[in-house]
Formats: sequence, structure tokens, C-alpha cells
Amino acid sequence: MTAAALPRRGDRTLPRPIESAIEFLRLLSKRPSGLIGFIGIVFFLVLAFVAPIFVPNQVNPDVTALYETPSAQHLLGTDNSGRDVLNQIVQGGREIISVALVTAFLTTLIATLLGAVSALVGGKFDAVFVGIADIVLTVPPLIVLIVISALARPTNFFALAMVLSSLGWAGLMRQVRAQVLTLKERDYVEAARSLDLGLTHIVFREILPNMRSYIVIHFVLAMTGAIYAQVALIILGLVPFSGKNWALMLYFANTQGAFYFKDAFWFVFSPILAIVLLQLSLVLFVNALEDIFNPRLRSS
Amino acid sequence: MAATTPADAKMVAQQFPTTPRAGRARHILGYWRHPVAQAIFKAFLTVFVTTSITFFLIRLMPGNPIDIKIDELTKDGLMTYAEARSQAASLFSIDLDKPVLEQYLSFVGNLAHGNLGYSFVSQGTPVMGIVLAVLPWTLFSVGTGLLLSFSIGVFLGLFAAYNRNTKIDHILSLGGSIISAVPNYFIALLIVIVLGVELRWVPITQMRGATSPGIQPGFTPAFVGDVLFHAALPISVFFLSTLGHWILGMKSATINALEEDYVNAARARGLSDGRIMTAYVGRNAVLPLVTQLAITAGLAIGGSIIIEQYFVYQGVGLRLQAAVTQRDYPVMQGILLMVTLAVVLANLAADLLYSRLDPRIGRAGGATGT
Amino acid sequence: MTPVLSVRDLSIDYRTRRGPVHAVRDVSFDIAKGETVAIIGESGSGKTTLAVSLIRLSPRSARITKGAILYTNARETIDIRTVADDELRQYRWSECAMVFQAALNSFNPVINIWEQFADTARAHGMKDSAAIHARADELLDLVHLDPARVLKAYPHELSGGMKQRVLIALSLLLEPQLIILDEPTTALDILTQRSIIDLLGTLRKKLGFSMIFISHDLSIAAELADRMITMYAGTVVERASVTDLFYRPRHPYSVGLLRAVPRVSGAMGAVESIPGSPPDLIRLPPGCTYIPRCPLAIAACADREPDLVPVDTPAHEARCIRWKTVAEQVGTAEVAVAEKIATA
Repeated sequence: MTAAALPRRGDRTLPRPIESAIEFLRLLSKRPSGLIGFIGIVFFLVLAFVAPIFVPNQVNPDVTALYETPSAQHLLGTDNSGRDVLNQIVQGGREIISVALVTAFLTTLIATLLGAVSALVGGKFDAVFVGIADIVLTVPPLIVLIVISALARPTNFFALAMVLSSLGWAGLMRQVRAQVLTLKERDYVEAARSLDLGLTHIVFREILPNMRSYIVIHFVLAMTGAIYAQVALIILGLVPFSGKNWALMLYFANTQGAFYFKDAFWFVFSPILAIVLLQLSLVLFVNALEDIFNPRLRSS
Repeated sequence: MAATTPADAKMVAQQFPTTPRAGRARHILGYWRHPVAQAIFKAFLTVFVTTSITFFLIRLMPGNPIDIKIDELTKDGLMTYAEARSQAASLFSIDLDKPVLEQYLSFVGNLAHGNLGYSFVSQGTPVMGIVLAVLPWTLFSVGTGLLLSFSIGVFLGLFAAYNRNTKIDHILSLGGSIISAVPNYFIALLIVIVLGVELRWVPITQMRGATSPGIQPGFTPAFVGDVLFHAALPISVFFLSTLGHWILGMKSATINALEEDYVNAARARGLSDGRIMTAYVGRNAVLPLVTQLAITAGLAIGGSIIIEQYFVYQGVGLRLQAAVTQRDYPVMQGILLMVTLAVVLANLAADLLYSRLDPRIGRAGGATGT
Repeated sequence: MTPVLSVRDLSIDYRTRRGPVHAVRDVSFDIAKGETVAIIGESGSGKTTLAVSLIRLSPRSARITKGAILYTNARETIDIRTVADDELRQYRWSECAMVFQAALNSFNPVINIWEQFADTARAHGMKDSAAIHARADELLDLVHLDPARVLKAYPHELSGGMKQRVLIALSLLLEPQLIILDEPTTALDILTQRSIIDLLGTLRKKLGFSMIFISHDLSIAAELADRMITMYAGTVVERASVTDLFYRPRHPYSVGLLRAVPRVSGAMGAVESIPGSPPDLIRLPPGCTYIPRCPLAIAACADREPDLVPVDTPAHEARCIRWKTVAEQVGTAEVAVAEKIATA
């Protein structure tokens, strides 16, 4: 990457974040599947957070239009109370994506700090936490989550995010720890240690900045995991939410037997499609990220 | 560290005591280094920790199931508090009068004897029996699905890596990404609503259940065929949902292996491409995937809670879902423990398998894993 | 007599996004039967690119743009560049064995040494396990290793020096006419280096194979070589017998390499490294590639790249228009010092 590739206005260059963003988009455009994923993510973020501002929430049942197949009036048909499915799709993404973001944030935070500190401190502390992570990793996660949810009954989405993060940190923590262990041997860390700069300084100033790309990738992966788990919990009815939610639509569909009702096909299929497309966008985007950040393919 | 002076020698001797007892202790500790011993210990520890946490969740959390059960039993006034308490206690196989530590120990003791308590809902039915009746079906469908997806996925991943950047590679990689993005329970649901209801390609009502009603169990072709017929859908779901992961994982591992020096060195020695592909590239590339087998199995079993519901397949997932709906806590607890045990054993088996495949691990004094 | 290997005007390019990298340019040399030729150069000089092309094992991004690689044995002469794939597989190892740099990773980590011996033998038609075993025992003895222990072992259980010896033993499996060694001692400690060099010397005397020894280390190469070729920026800059190169270097780069060799007997300040770095092989300058680092460069050097011309004797060639000046500068003072190197 030479300086000539970066946009300039007159003599001044654009501020660093914007330069990086443009460079990032340029690299992304070379990987079509990643670009599609990125567009998908943007689309869903807009759909979930921006669109509901413009599209009013329809709560009134219309008993004259039960389980209608798609028409000009109801592009995706209606549900068992005559409510428009498309409207529910627009309203239903907010909670799922919010929980996923919060969970991914908590998971990444816990895992990164714990992994880094554990690797740097070493000794018994490290052994204990690696052991805990191993145990958490071995236990089948969804079953444990179900048991926990059945017992603890999270009632708001923050509580749900916490329940999900209680298991999700282990995998990333092991990997962060492995990365930090290799970085630990590098010169600049040795220098910082010999200058006695303290653990916090070393973690935040020396090591984490070099793992930025790594952390971003795992944040997105944590989101996919959080979506998988929360949708499962909601479909099983373990997380009583009110309001609109794609997974909740499927819960209702299940309890109403809508799966076997041909006319209800779009009511069932639409939330599935929405969730799958969201997951797919995240996965394609993360594959492209891995490609971009892979040191073998880039010179910097 | 060579001892060069008498003072040095004494220092060295002090660091390495040679009394018989110390020698024996070191001998036993030497076994500790062996990865097999470590793996078994870890397995034990995992089950132990899980049981302990379950105990505390059940017993000590506010709004815990025991108190709820007692409330339930005393609600209609049919029982006194004392009676309800003792009934709840026996259902959970916990003695509520003893101090917590003793309760915990007898709880663990009961577990060791295979006593997982009794179901709330079907009074008096031992949980262990309930779980053992359903667990094998799930293990069968998950195991078969995973075995198929691993063998086929590894082969396709190898193929994709060798034909990198060709059309077939793009198709396999993109396909792998797409199916791994779809949650496994959705694959099940889509099979039901698309293939079953909408298109009517699959006779989902006939395929319900683990076996057809009235069929005689036994190793007859009729029975085995029937079991496979009913398990076909769950197996397909587990197969499809894990296939992508193996394809992509093997492709990336193979690409890495192909860049290794020993592959070039093997070519320089005139070895055939076929031999290099199997014994040099393939065997090395597949190693990291073996470590993921057990984790993938754990994830698949988790999804079975929903998947078995959609196919009405009487495995452990369906039973857990019923237990959750009915608030049958002893059964829930029992299932959690048995499934964890199964996964832990699977992990152990995978670790042992790995140590046989990779000579760098699995020998005393070999490298420790990360 | 026909040389065992004859490389004629070989040129190899790498495809890169910035353009083709001219890694090897118009390289020619011959190897006679039983002769050892050392190819000396720093990293980036093209010596490894050249070496792997001799068994046609270049990476996919490399392309031979010109030249021929002619190999001759008792029956025939073949051009490695054009020979069929099957014949090439037979040629590899049975006629010409190449021992790579980083021998430490030349073995498959998950199968034992015996399997790897057997694989090699079977790939070349040897089927009888007992016969292969006998031969493996014989070869491992030759390199002073214990066959019983080594054959059962896995690569990670052997030290670097042991692995290098196993590779050398393996290279002799099919009695090749030519053995190419790319930096065989670089990753080893000094004592092991010594033993490997001695071993190679003994084996060569005993079995009479030709050898190409590639290194950046002049003094080690000089021990085994009959002739030396120095490479710079992808082409040969001097070609001479060992004594000629040490006593009478005629290219400023060779002189620089000699001066850079630390000497036990010399004064401390006598060691100099060559200042500067090699040129960009994508956009080569029109004239001599050594100009930026050459103490003797004049305006005329930049006109065109000099030809490889005979100096002193026909067997001694250098690619420098001012070789006579080099000769004068080297003079008698250097002779004494070079003598000390050669006998050290």
C-alpha cells in the first residue's frame, strides 16, 4: 500500500479513521462474498433499528384476514390473528440484534481480559483459569443454557445476554491466551516488562493493540453464537419476552401448530429467512475479515 | 548442569533427593505427565464440577425448584409442610435436614451409585431409567450424522484445497459457509415445512418417533431398517449442519499443510502425488479437526432439544424439552448430568484418538497441548 | 567427457503483482563427473531459485523463460525443462537428489523414519521390504547413526544434526550421480557443522558423486568445492577454481565476500561487510547491477551489464569491465591473507 493510494484533499489527508475505513472498504470490495455479507449486515442494522421508526407497530388483530397468503396488501401474508407478517419482521430484529451485540461485547471483554491476564501472569492463576475454560468448553452449551434459563428465568434482554456470556467466553479466552503467549516473547513486551511498566500498561498498550483484528473477528463470531443460542431459548419458550421478535414468531407458530398449515408457510418461513440471512451475512463478512487480516496475504 | 566441585555436587544432590520415598513419589508424578492420565483427570473434574454446580443451582438459589415443589404440594392444603418437605427431598434424593455439606456429599454419593432421583411428573419413576431409555437414540443419530459429515467433509475439504480457486472450490467453500450459517434446528424446521408440508417430498408424519409402533426390537433387518428410516431425518440434519465446518476446516488445514517444507521435500524424493496427498498432507491436515470432533458433538446434542421436537424423535432432547415444559427438575438435572458425561467421554475418546494419530503428543514427555 | 549437468543460459522469472521478478538471469555452468561446485551468494541472489529448478520443483509462480538444463547419465541426455512428468519423478532422487535448506522440516512429522525411507524406495520401484531395510541399515551406518534406533524414531525425536545425517543417508539411497545441498549446515551449531562437512567429504571420496553445494558461507563451501560460482542479483558474476577465487578474485563482489569472512588470525578491524543491499529484481538497472555497492564503479559501468569474460585463464571468468584493476588492487597483500583463509 503506497501513500498514493490514499485519498487526499489538497495537501491535507483525511483523518485517520476515515482513511482506514476507505482502505478497508477497498480491500473488502476485492472479496465479493465478504462485500455481500457487509451489505447484509448494514441492511439488517437499518431494518432492525431505523426502519421501525418509520413503520408503525401494528398490534391490532384483523380477524377477517387470518393466515392469508402473500398479496399486494400483505407482502408476506398474515399470521394467526391477521397481523401483517412483514410488519412483524421489520419490528422483530431489534431485540435479537441488541442481545447479540451486548452478549458479544461482554463475551469478548471477559475473554480478552481474562485470556491476556492469564497468559501474562502465568503460574497457578493461569492453570486454574485454563482449567475452568476447559470445563466450560466441554459441557454441551445449549443444554446448560436451557437448564440455567429454566432455573433463573431471565426477564429482560440484558439478563439474557449475561446468561449467554456465562458460557461463551471460554473458547475465545483460550485463543486469546494462546496468542498472548506467543506475543509475550516479542521484544516490545520484554522491553515493557524490563521497564517495570505494570500489568495494565502491558495489556492495554502493548499487547491488545496488536490483537485488534483478532478481537474484531471474534466479536462477530460471538454475535453468531449469541443469535443461535437466544433464538433456541426463545423458540423453546424459556425466555418470556413481550413484543415483537423473530424467534418469538416461531415460538407462537409452534404452539399454534402453524408448521403444518400450508397457508401459514410465509408466517413461519419469513422469520427463519430473516435469521438465516442475518447469520449468513455475519459469516460471510467474518470470512472476508479473516482473509483480509491474514498476514500471509497482506504485506502490512 | 554438571557438578564440577564438591560444593556444586552437594547443591545438585539437595535439589534432587534420592531417598526411596521421594523416588517413588517422583515415579508416580512421572505418570502425571502422561497425557492420558491428565485427560482422565480432566474428565472426572468436569463431571464433578458440573454436578456440584447443578446441586447448588437446584438447592441454593432463591426460587429454587425444591421450594417451588414444596409450595406446590402444600398449596391445596393436602399436605403439611413437613410432609411436603420430605416428599420434595426424596424426589430430589436430598436430605433437607442435614447440613448443606452433608447434603452435598450424599447427593454426590447417590450419583456415584447411579441414583439420579425420581421424576416429579411420573411419580416414583427413577430418573436414571428415564434418561437411559432415550439417550442412546440421540447418541445414535448424532453419532451417525457426525461420522458421515466428518468423512465426507474432510474428503471434500481436501479436494477443494487441491483445486484451489477453481469453480468447484468456490462452490464447496461458499456452500460450506452457507450451510454452517444456518442453525441446525432451522435445517430441521425447514425440512419439515418445506420438504414435508409445502412440497410433500418427505413423509414426515410416518417418520415420527424413533421406531414405528408395534415393531419388535432385535437385530433383525426389519427392525434395523425401521430404526434407520425413523432416524434418517435427524441424521440428515446433524449431517448437513456440521458438514460445512469440516469442509472449510479441512480446506484451510490442507492449504497450510501444502506449504510445509516436508511436502516439497517429499516431491523432491520422487514420491507420487497420491501418496503425498494421503500420508503427508492429509494425515497432517486432519489432526486439528480431530480435536474439534467432541465439541461439535456437544453442539449437535444441544440442538437436538429442538430438532427432536420437530421430528418427534424420542431422544434425550425431546425428553428434556418435555421436562422443561413440565418443570420436572429431577429429570432436567439428570439429563444434564448424563449428557455432560456422554460428551466428556466423547472428548476423552477424541483426545485419546488424537494422541494415537500425532506422535508428537501422547508419549510421556511429549509436548503439552495448548 | 560430457558433463553430468549442463545449465545453459537459464533465466527464471517470478510472477508478482508489481511485475515479473527476474530471479535468475542467463546462468550457465557445467558440472563434471565427481566434481563439487559451490554456488555462493547472499539471500536474494537467486541461488535457491536456481537449485529448485534443477529438479523442476519451482513454485507455481515461477517460470523458466529461457535456457536448458541438460542432465546426462550413462544412457541418455535429458532436458529437465521439458522431460515428461513420469520420467521427472524417476529422475528425482535416483539421478539427482536435492537436500533442502531447513532440513529440520524435511520430514513428515507423523510417520517414522523407516516409513519415509520405505516411501522413497517404493516410489522408485524397490518392493522388497527386507532389501529396503538392509539398504537403510547400510546407509545409516555410513553416516554414523544407529539404524535400530533411528528407523523406529519419529522426526521430532531426532536432533537437527541427526536429521541432516538421515537426509544425507536418504539421498544416497538410489546412488544418484548428482547431489544438490542447499545451505545444509546453516541451521546447525558449529560442532555439528564440522561433522557434517567432514561426513560429506568422506562420502564424496568414497562414492564419487557430483555435488552442488549452495551457501552464503564462503569458508565452509571452500572446504568441499573444486570450483566456485558467485552469484549476484540473479546472475553469475565470477566463476573460478577455489584457489583462483581465493587468491585471485577478479570481481569486486567476490573481493567483498572474501573481506567479509572473519579471520581467526587477522586484525579485528579487518572484517568488513559489504555496504548497501541488492537491487530490485523487477526493475533492473541497465548497467552493472553491483554499481551501488562497488568501490571501483566508473561511468562506463552503467552503460550495459558486462559480459562474463575470461580473466587470467579460460576457466576463470568474471563479469566486470575493470577486472584488471581488481587484480591490481588485490595484489600481493591479499594473497597472504587469502592463503591464511584457505589453510584455516
